Amino acid sequence: MIGSLLEDPDPVRRPSNLSLVDVILWALRVAIVVGVAVSTFVTLSNTRLSGDQWRDLFIFGISQGSVYALIALGYTLVYGVLLMINFAHGDVFMFGGMTAFFAADWLNDNGLLNTTPYIAVPVILLVGAISSMIVALLLERIAYRPLRRAPRLVPLITAIGASLFISNSVRGLYGDGVKAYPRVDFFQGTFNIFGIPILKSHATVIVSALVLMSALYWFVERTRTGRAMRAVSEDKDTAALMGIDVDRIISITFAIGGMLAGAAGVLYAIVYNQVIWSMGFLPGIKAFTAAVLGGIGNIIGAMLGGLILGVLESLAPTLLLAGYHVPSPNQLRDVIAFSVLVLVLIFRPYGLFGRPEGK
Amino acid sequence: MTTTDPGLIMDPAPDDGRPLLVATNVTKNFEGLVANREIDFEIPRHSIVAIIGPNGAGKTTFFNQLSGVYHPTSGTIEFEGIDISAMAPHVVAGLGVARTYQNIRLFQNMTVLNNVMVGRHVRMRGQWYQAIAGLGGIRQEEDATRRRAFQLLELVGIPRRSAAELSKNLPYGDQRRLEIARALASDPKLLLLDEPTAGMNPGETRQMTDFIARLRRELRLTILLIEHDMKVVMGVSERITVLDYGEKIAEGTPAEIRANPRVIEAYLGKQATA
Amino acid sequence: MPRAFTMRAAIRSGLIAGVVMIYLVAVGIASAFAKREVVTGYLTLGHLMLVIPPLAIGYAMAGRPLPAYGRVTQALVAGLAAGTLFAAAFLAAVALSPGIRLVLNRVSTALLDFVGFRNLGLEPATGALLNLGLAGALALIGGLVRIAPVAVRRAIVGGGSALLVMSMVEPFLRPRLLQLSLSSVAQFIYTSHGLATLSAALILALGAVLAVSWPKVRSTARSRLAAADPGTRSTLRWAAILVAIAFLYTLPTLSGSFLTQVLVLVGFYVLLGLGLNIVVGYAGLLDLGYVAFYAVGAYFTALITSPTSALGWGLNFWIALPIVVLLSAMVGLFIGAPVLRLRGDYLAIVTLGFGEIARVLLGSDALKPWLGGPNGILSVPFMLGNGTYFLPIVGKVTGPAATYFPLLGFCILAAFIAYRLKYSRTGRAWNAMREDEDVAQATGISTVNYKLLAFAMGASVGCVGGAIYATHLQGVVPGGFLLLVSITVLAVVVLGGMGSIAGVIVGAFALIGTPELLREFAEYKLLVYGAVLVAVMLLRPEGLIPDASRRAELEEARELEEGELKVEYDEISGDA
Repeated sequence: MIGSLLEDPDPVRRPSNLSLVDVILWALRVAIVVGVAVSTFVTLSNTRLSGDQWRDLFIFGISQGSVYALIALGYTLVYGVLLMINFAHGDVFMFGGMTAFFAADWLNDNGLLNTTPYIAVPVILLVGAISSMIVALLLERIAYRPLRRAPRLVPLITAIGASLFISNSVRGLYGDGVKAYPRVDFFQGTFNIFGIPILKSHATVIVSALVLMSALYWFVERTRTGRAMRAVSEDKDTAALMGIDVDRIISITFAIGGMLAGAAGVLYAIVYNQVIWSMGFLPGIKAFTAAVLGGIGNIIGAMLGGLILGVLESLAPTLLLAGYHVPSPNQLRDVIAFSVLVLVLIFRPYGLFGRPEGK
Repeated sequence: MTTTDPGLIMDPAPDDGRPLLVATNVTKNFEGLVANREIDFEIPRHSIVAIIGPNGAGKTTFFNQLSGVYHPTSGTIEFEGIDISAMAPHVVAGLGVARTYQNIRLFQNMTVLNNVMVGRHVRMRGQWYQAIAGLGGIRQEEDATRRRAFQLLELVGIPRRSAAELSKNLPYGDQRRLEIARALASDPKLLLLDEPTAGMNPGETRQMTDFIARLRRELRLTILLIEHDMKVVMGVSERITVLDYGEKIAEGTPAEIRANPRVIEAYLGKQATA
Repeated sequence: MPRAFTMRAAIRSGLIAGVVMIYLVAVGIASAFAKREVVTGYLTLGHLMLVIPPLAIGYAMAGRPLPAYGRVTQALVAGLAAGTLFAAAFLAAVALSPGIRLVLNRVSTALLDFVGFRNLGLEPATGALLNLGLAGALALIGGLVRIAPVAVRRAIVGGGSALLVMSMVEPFLRPRLLQLSLSSVAQFIYTSHGLATLSAALILALGAVLAVSWPKVRSTARSRLAAADPGTRSTLRWAAILVAIAFLYTLPTLSGSFLTQVLVLVGFYVLLGLGLNIVVGYAGLLDLGYVAFYAVGAYFTALITSPTSALGWGLNFWIALPIVVLLSAMVGLFIGAPVLRLRGDYLAIVTLGFGEIARVLLGSDALKPWLGGPNGILSVPFMLGNGTYFLPIVGKVTGPAATYFPLLGFCILAAFIAYRLKYSRTGRAWNAMREDEDVAQATGISTVNYKLLAFAMGASVGCVGGAIYATHLQGVVPGGFLLLVSITVLAVVVLGGMGSIAGVIVGAFALIGTPELLREFAEYKLLVYGAVLVAVMLLRPEGLIPDASRRAELEEARELEEGELKVEYDEISGDA
């Protein structure tokens, strides 16, 4: 089986092998390490951000990262079973957030939202999760299943098309404008945990995400279906020979990924208070970055990758750029995320927790 | 055509007794799995040599190191005296090593003709700017290459009218032969054939065996085979090397190998010799 | 096949068609198109949108291998299923109205009236039944068309398409006719809101006749061509190209200002498409950040030629151009080098990342002193004589046409370069790399070099497009370089056929020209692009105009062979 690969899994890099490209890459590595170190030093010595401010940025990063982690799980699960990047996953996330808005709005109108938040909020999460799940299932059935055996580029292009289609359909169905989630009294104010003030909304997001991630982990590791999913991601054909209904497992994978993304959509709305048809793209790409950062196909990796990326995105603009008095460093927040994406894929495509050439 | 066009001879160098390829103490290690262990191997010029062994013995890994796709973890490989152990595959191809594959790997959506013409890539010199400007003898080079391609198609027995077919639409036997034509297009000195008779019936196998012999005889090629079909191996090779669990366990003429107890044991298990 | 089984399939297909109809209404396509009348007083484009799904499903259902009676029944059943679902959805919407508008924001009372034929004075229930009946009837018609003899089928399709096209082109054909002093013609064909009834009938007939006679014409032409010798064929090919170029040359004068603007927009995407075609179509590298090269070309040109830019050199466009191309090629190499080892999906995402980084940086405050931030760079001079100059035959050129001609020239140049590369050693190497990278390497192709070459070439073409764009707008703003541009160019290449030069041109006209000409369509442009990408990948991945290289290869081979035969003959008849 190893011999059938035509790329050396264990390449021997001798000095005679080095090319201009390798030199450029090494120069890039050095430049980045030096750049980050110097910038951090400059910022810490020049600007006066208090420990509290850094801490708040950190917590915000964790809550944002939790959302990314939930979305990233969808990417990683699908990549695990199909070896494809579900480019449209960000729009699956968006759909949940958008559809759940109507539930939130309705619950707000009849007062249930604020009188019984412990029931209302999970209901909203459920609505988001289920609507996203439906879209994910439709996506798999219509756009991806017929292309199972096609060369890799084809499903990717299809996914791009699907992403455009879904986001613009939502624009037509639900409308152009921003939808502001209703105010939930429960989320106002802060908790005091070990003396650290955490916004209630952030705390809810982090806790909900942790609960969902634990549930997923338990599901994948401890149930029969979860085992089947792992089998399919190891070797689809052998799994089929073992009697596993591969189509069904793949559908389940998409469904689970969709549910998590839908819940993430609602949590995102809790943090940012508004949703819009175009909100799927950026979080989608960032969640994908998180998945790759953690090692695509690796569930724990996706969770950790999400958290790490969230924190990086929160701290890095200030940390790296404020020292140079760069105007509005937060504009460049997205650049940080994209840069992480590009750098990870170039230098360590198997991620922090993956192994070279492993799946 | 029964007499060979002198233009088709690939390696006109005389048989001076020096081997074309020498592998010394070659070991390939994949993160703990030793696929090839300390293999010494020589291919005399203009000979047909076979490598055999049970599945997983490391034959294809060895092949891949000869064509530059893998690099030995230790040991050296010399082709015509040049150390190719650290060379990129396309450089090795330029030196005169060409190969076919166990599962046919043609350029599926390219035409039959284009498959062969692209095989000649290393022997052509046309650059992109010359192609755009139409200078530098581009037209002549393309014509010559096309002529050569048709010549090779005829040699392997693919009808001319198939030239514009997409290679994926060819029948299985023709696809195998096309792969060989593509390999021959680069005027190689060493031809590596990875299970050339896989999937063939006895009639086709006989044809292929004769064809391999003919390649050596008329085109003066040096050929290295991996094969499982013993009739082919015994029928056409002059020397056979046997691998098992990544190590060389025997080497010799077909007659010697047939009688070698270690070889029999490797294929059939200890009971067979007991 | 047991009858129950096929009934189930028919019902299922019908339900799918029904969902499509509901979707078209809910998303707002039906209502947006309802403003355009096809035949005055009878038919709007919105109605046509709703007519298509049941018609299509009936047509499809009747293609099954059953006796004629069975096929028609299938079609009818499918149509009724679609109609039932649609009617039910309609009634539900009416029941939930007006509250439903808060969720599905297009479903207004006006829309429901439109769907329910309120204009005919019908109550919702009756309107629903009418819809159901119509769906069934339309599917039946579709089915009957399918089982009709080929000639009848062609006549109907031809006539219908002709009708549709003539009504679509009304918004600019009519003003053009008036400008060319052909007002009587204009009045004959069109009334103030669509096609006049008499001319509609004529167009229908004409379209039908053309469609029926087309196959015969085509096969005659084909056989004549095949019989001709290579010399004549080659001459004909060149003649056709020259005629096409001559036509394109005179097009702005024929078309008037608005259409020329559309042509300019199409032209930009043709140029970009040809560039991306090299990267994606030839070399198989999915570059989702292609817009970055476009931006580099535009911004560098602006910086170098604008007297008010940060550099302020104010150089002439044609002097700046080679510099910009060189810089772009280097950028292409810089982007290509780190991504060389990446495969397929990862390459796509990384290039997307590069494109997005570029976009953010272009508009950022950090780089504002150089790039002008959200306002960009202004006062970029036009490339030729201040936007007004003279050309032979055409005379005075001004306005959008001033960009058209240089753009046309560069498109022809790019097409020529693409053509030459495709049938060369380089083109074959790229194709091999695209098909199977590992085997290509073993065949002697240095994938590193060829990937870099592809990126550099793609970058150069894209950057020329950007340079022209900068002078066309006489400025650059970051908002013009979104990811959407990359995806649109990709859609153009994919629809036309990856690797096909003619395909890029067709794709650009289809995807860029149509929304400009059909303003109603423009709002749903992206939705259609998405649907097109998915549909093409699912149904016809090779695109509209698949790679013609096979035919060309065969022809060249025949020429060679005939040339050789001639030589042999000479030898034989000479001194053997």
